[in-house]
Amino acid sequence: MKLMKFAFAAALCILFTACTSDDSTENLDGLIGDISLKFDNGVGDQDFIFETTYTKSNNETYKLSTLKYLISNVRLTDDEGNIFEYPSDKNVFIVDEADSNNAGEIYITLEDVDAANYTSITFGIGIDQERYLKGADGQGDFLSIAQEEGMLWSWATGYRFTRFDGVYTSGTEIEQGLNIHMGSVGTSIDNYREVTLPLPTEARVRPDKITEVHIKADISKVFDGVTSINFSDGYSQVHTSAETTPVIADNMMHMFMVHHVHNE
Amino acid sequence: MKLIRLSILVGLSFGLTHCSDDVGPYTPINLEVEIPSNFPDLTYTLENNPVTDAGFDLGKKLFYEGRLSVNNSIPCAFCHEQAFAFTHHGHTLSHGVNGEIGLRNAPPIQNMAFQKEFMWDGAATHLDLQPIIPLTSDVEMGETLANVLAKLKKDPEYKTLFRRAFGESGINAENLLKALSQFMVMMISSNSTYDKYVRNEDNVQLSPLELAGLYTFKSKCSSCHAGELFTDQSYRNNGLPVNPKLMDKGRYAIFEDENDLYKFKVPSLRNIEVTFPYMHDGRFQTLEAVLNFYDHGMTNNGNVDPSLLRPDGSYGIDLTTEEKESLIAFLKTLTDTEFLNDERFAEY
Repeated sequence: MKLMKFAFAAALCILFTACTSDDSTENLDGLIGDISLKFDNGVGDQDFIFETTYTKSNNETYKLSTLKYLISNVRLTDDEGNIFEYPSDKNVFIVDEADSNNAGEIYITLEDVDAANYTSITFGIGIDQERYLKGADGQGDFLSIAQEEGMLWSWATGYRFTRFDGVYTSGTEIEQGLNIHMGSVGTSIDNYREVTLPLPTEARVRPDKITEVHIKADISKVFDGVTSINFSDGYSQVHTSAETTPVIADNMMHMFMVHHVHNE
Repeated sequence: MKLIRLSILVGLSFGLTHCSDDVGPYTPINLEVEIPSNFPDLTYTLENNPVTDAGFDLGKKLFYEGRLSVNNSIPCAFCHEQAFAFTHHGHTLSHGVNGEIGLRNAPPIQNMAFQKEFMWDGAATHLDLQPIIPLTSDVEMGETLANVLAKLKKDPEYKTLFRRAFGESGINAENLLKALSQFMVMMISSNSTYDKYVRNEDNVQLSPLELAGLYTFKSKCSSCHAGELFTDQSYRNNGLPVNPKLMDKGRYAIFEDENDLYKFKVPSLRNIEVTFPYMHDGRFQTLEAVLNFYDHGMTNNGNVDPSLLRPDGSYGIDLTTEEKESLIAFLKTLTDTEFLNDERFAEY
């Protein structure tokens, strides 16, 4: 009888403490899971919506019909300092607002990620020189995808890291063309930048679980970031200039934050 | 040993089923719907569905019941959380079954008994019929009334609860909807700082900033956000840029009348502090963003409300920095913490 009661009590304990049990003893070796990165573009405290006018500093306004940027070299750091890097040939993505669901959310799913408790995420904005210099080697289909998506100049010039297309209004300049196609320029300018974002709560990647990291991107920071730029002063057309492209690249380093993490 | 195990089982089953033990005839007790002295008359016809203790309790249970949805896990309360005046906290567009995303931002549930029509586009003209829309929508709860009733009929507890509330007629669609209405009719938010101030209760005063906001509100906002419900219950196009992804034509969807293009119901502003994000598609995350929009974000989409036309031909409401600050201070006096924490409406 005692044994039965003990077993019943033990079962109850397990039932009630499963959620808070200490995972330090959990053996995750060899286990893998998926992690989903949810990108949500906004403008300050507003949702980003195509063809909606947003006001930047100095009262210039803009509205966009295309909003895309490249993300690559995603790495995750766990609570023990181990770094998981997604396989290089798959580790480049286009975040395209046009691909979003109705709520404006764009999902990138990383498969077969080492099970661990991750505390930060690192990724690059654009394409690094090493990847660029590989040419078509080891790029999978990305080269052709980028071309179809309008994210590639001629090969000598390289990738466009961003595609912000629309119009801007500044004083008497009404609805003039706005095209921010910043990228590295061959090997002459390196505009690749990396950001590391702390996760407000651990992303616990486990087999058969859905882990989601909600990343907010504040598009206003592209124009009003570390440096506030004026469309009317040469920033309405940003393509290959050694002067303007690094400013946009540096501004974009500060547009991302992890809002929250979902562990199912 | 057997005795102990048996007693554990008895204890457990008592804990789970005590609600359905009393199977005898029950006479429901009428609950009074108290109309706040500063409120208009009820629009809901209580005579057709008097609120009772048993009906209210059943309505509340149904409001939190996942089986009203096709995957048995999305109750009404999923998109209507009490702490946020029964809105879907933090979501621009509300989510439904199977990860589906709706077209609009879930509006608050409060003071429903004073509303003439429901939903952002007025698709429901009677409170009793409103729940059919989310219940059957593929992007919300994805069910059918018949299937929900079939599920509930299999549950002895619901058999008892329906009989307690509605007698012999038991589980049917009418009683399901009436119970939900009884719960919602009681959800009256009327005890904000503003209410106590206008009713001269408890010596509640507004600060000079809040009073300045009230003054600005009366001169610049209250023609639409009228009266003590803070809505004239009309449908208006407020010049929001149309989201090309959603192409939501608003009330046009109801009658396909060109005059209704991009019109949405003027929302109440009660508990506005906690019901973010704002507008029918939740595009604004803060009240500052909303007021900035009214000041300089409107576009002429062809059917903007004439009341928003400025003398220079543009659309908008001029608001100074000071006016915005005081308006927000005033709007926060509409927060009713008693309602947001009222245990009568809470799941647990």
